[in-house]
Amino acid sequence: MISVAEPWVEAPLKRFVDDARVMFALLIYPSGQVLGQSGFARAVDVMSAAALAAGIHATVRELGRTLEGKGFRDVFHAGAKRRVYLAEATTPRGPCLFLTVFDDQSSLGLVQLYFEELRTALAQAKVQAPTAAPMLDENFEAELNRNLAMLFGRAPGRRHITPTS
Amino acid sequence: MSLVNYATREITCKIVYYGPGRSGKTTNLHYVYGQVPDERKGRMVSLATQTDRTLFFDFLPLDLGTISGFTTRLQLYTVPGQVYYQATRKLVLQGADGVVFVADSQSRQLQENIESLQDLHANLGEHGMDPRSTPLVLQYNKQDLPRDMIMSADDLDEALNFRAVPRFPADALHGVGVFETLRGIAELVLKRLASPAEAGRG
Repeated sequence: MISVAEPWVEAPLKRFVDDARVMFALLIYPSGQVLGQSGFARAVDVMSAAALAAGIHATVRELGRTLEGKGFRDVFHAGAKRRVYLAEATTPRGPCLFLTVFDDQSSLGLVQLYFEELRTALAQAKVQAPTAAPMLDENFEAELNRNLAMLFGRAPGRRHITPTS
Repeated sequence: MSLVNYATREITCKIVYYGPGRSGKTTNLHYVYGQVPDERKGRMVSLATQTDRTLFFDFLPLDLGTISGFTTRLQLYTVPGQVYYQATRKLVLQGADGVVFVADSQSRQLQENIESLQDLHANLGEHGMDPRSTPLVLQYNKQDLPRDMIMSADDLDEALNFRAVPRFPADALHGVGVFETLRGIAELVLKRLASPAEAGRG
């Protein structure tokens, strides 16, 4: 299943996943924020994969600059059963990173072939105008406090150290 | 930059724990990780050295539940505090929606706190972020140590809190102040996200 943060990501991402027959696909900003994903079951796992992909990219880019004077364009890691391909893409929202995981159902050549199509589609995507800030309720702090208290297994309203400024 | 998905009504915010080496940034995340039920958190990722000093970052994704109809998630990061990891700190800070500055309350660590805070301001500036408007809270950690070893919260305010941001005395190892700190920064980040000035940032 594909989930996206913005609608323009969905069609190119779905086409890539179908054509390249990959297990997971992830489009993120270099800061690790997720623009779209396919294959992950839990949102928290998507965020972990995104954070690590952003870290790999930052590291490899610096390694590339050290060795070649410029960052590597893409990276391939081969595991025992699964393989990982990580590459840069340009979108109307700015530079992005693309991570995909595949097994014997696909191949590096196939992934690279269809990634070039994806890269082109993302660069040419029609992006919607920015939307207004989300309307949070006036008492959103109460909801935040209640949710955090539940998360920490605390009874709401119990007082601990409070800020003084 | 917070990510808002209007179609699925989801908000994702990036919060970075910053501060000098050994001030307790990773300890904060470990405590949070230990408190939160499995179904509301992801795996805690730690890119650390063999002696457990943070080498790149720690990362903990949290599902806060629904706030004003938006499923709200937090991405908690720490940076490596040691002076020579300046480039790494700058990378991790990229796209942060809010910062928790974890100060070490020990008197002998005052200079390290000041230098780290200056480093934070410089790195925010290099990312084009205004340090005056970036959501920030201070945590004065290790307040459980003997009085003669530490600075009081008021003295730390005098030295570090010139923007008068919310600050939280803490003993992160035992969880004191960790919850309050996270609540404080989450509140500032969401307030800023919902403010009219954020409209149009996309």
